Amino acid sequence: MKKILLASLIAISFIQAKELNPSMQGFMNDLSVEAKKQNPNIQGFDYARGEVIFTTKQIGKKGNPISCVSCHTNDLSQNGLNEHTNKVIEPLSPFANPKRFTDVKEVKKWLRRNFKDVYNREGTALEQGDVITYIINKK
Amino acid sequence: MKKTILTSLLIAGSLVAGSLTANKRGVAPVSDSFYMKECASCHFAYQPGLLPSRSWEKLMGNLSNHFSTDASLEPADNKIILNYLIKNSAENSTDYKRSKKINDSIPKNETPISLTETKYFIKEHRGIPSRLIEQKEVKSLANCMACHTTADTGSYSERAIKIPNYGKWED
Repeated sequence: MKKILLASLIAISFIQAKELNPSMQGFMNDLSVEAKKQNPNIQGFDYARGEVIFTTKQIGKKGNPISCVSCHTNDLSQNGLNEHTNKVIEPLSPFANPKRFTDVKEVKKWLRRNFKDVYNREGTALEQGDVITYIINKK
Repeated sequence: MKKTILTSLLIAGSLVAGSLTANKRGVAPVSDSFYMKECASCHFAYQPGLLPSRSWEKLMGNLSNHFSTDASLEPADNKIILNYLIKNSAENSTDYKRSKKINDSIPKNETPISLTETKYFIKEHRGIPSRLIEQKEVKSLANCMACHTTADTGSYSERAIKIPNYGKWED
């Protein structure tokens, strides 16, 4: 029984590790190191905290209530819509859109911009790791 | 028979010439894939010939507050895009009728960062009821493609205008 459990755990961690390519995995590791530097009690990134970051409305850069959901919608496998320009946004979920979360430069750019738009500041390493964990795992 | 051929040739010839002239009537279409990727992921790919160089310089110098949105780029990428915009800006594309008209309508001491602020644009869009602009299919006059169905080719001809929930627009 123990063996099966162990094997399943290894399998699960292997699947999770396979979700991101090596450069993205490296970026997540950097975020993790940075987050632990800022708070040594941190146990790792958390889907539930990421969900709160993604779905909670803030007074954004434009001075109106906004959340990530405002443009990306709650269904990350569907197209979103830029609420200011009416431009369609391709699905955020890598399950629906395999290009997502493959290019570290792109990911950094969008995290920087979108945290500024929604939270009026850059995300901490922990917040960035949490919200990525939420987005790439949400089905 | 000869006459028919001649007439056909003449018609074909004038069509070709007509399309070439029509092309020059608009603005030069976007030709840079990096510009498309970085700018058109959020909004319509405004052609560089829609604003003068000084406007593009001002706009690209403040991307962290781009119409109240953060559109910041890494400095090297910003420079690549600004170079493209300047090379093809309105005053550098005056062989295109609209670029020339836009450029001519901006006073030398002004640097608008939006086409919608220019006199030529305002004149061309006067008289459109605000309900047609504010409706969800359009949202603002900055959303060119909502009504100008060929805007992405650089053509803003009146014939190609189709306003959602209204139809063709005749001035």
